[in-house]
Amino acid sequence: MGLEVDIIFKIAGVGIVVAFLHTILDQVGKKEYAQWVTLFGFIYILFMVASIVDELFQKIKSVFLFQG
Amino acid sequence: MIKIIGAIFIMIATTWTGFEAARHLSERPRQLRQLKSALQSLEAEIMYGHTPLHEASRRLAAQLTKPLSWFFEAFSNKLTKAETTVKDAWDESLKEVWKLTAFKQGEIEILKQFGETLGRHDRMSQQKHIQLAITHLEREEADACDKQIKYERMVKSLGFLSGLLLVILLI
Repeated sequence: MGLEVDIIFKIAGVGIVVAFLHTILDQVGKKEYAQWVTLFGFIYILFMVASIVDELFQKIKSVFLFQG
Repeated sequence: MIKIIGAIFIMIATTWTGFEAARHLSERPRQLRQLKSALQSLEAEIMYGHTPLHEASRRLAAQLTKPLSWFFEAFSNKLTKAETTVKDAWDESLKEVWKLTAFKQGEIEILKQFGETLGRHDRMSQQKHIQLAITHLEREEADACDKQIKYERMVKSLGFLSGLLLVILLI
């Protein structure tokens, strides 16, 4: 259980920092950099979430399909 | 424990980088102002004091503060010690010093062009060339001030936030 809570906090932290970076870059008129930063943060979190969801599916498979 | 120490190190490093970049940004208009007043006093030395160039630049080096005084000192030394033309001495001392200053390519070009005219004309046209260089420098100074206002805070917070992001990603 400890692992999941850790990951939630990590996602929240990345979200906050990326949001700050986005607003600051937006303010000085570097819109394209702001979008790149947001995009990369999104992709990073997407990969993290995908690996966790993959774990979940494996677990469901092992419960319902009786596989090791 | 080790993780926390590493995180603190990363934060310090990136924040420091941000502040250093911000200092570079705020240093440029200051040095440009100094350079402008240096050229003005050079003009006064030439027009009213009839001072020879090496003497005038030695006096300027005594008046100014650190990075710019090195430039005029090197220039004056080259003029007194070596057998060179004024242009060569000016270019060489510019090349030596410009890494230590916050100047960008634009100011360097202006100074190089100014160095080509230095010591080749009579006093009146020399004064005109100095005025021309000062006008160019004023334009660069306005540009540098704009950049400082725009980017100084951004660079500072960018350094801090990128460090925070790196720490979160690595932990």
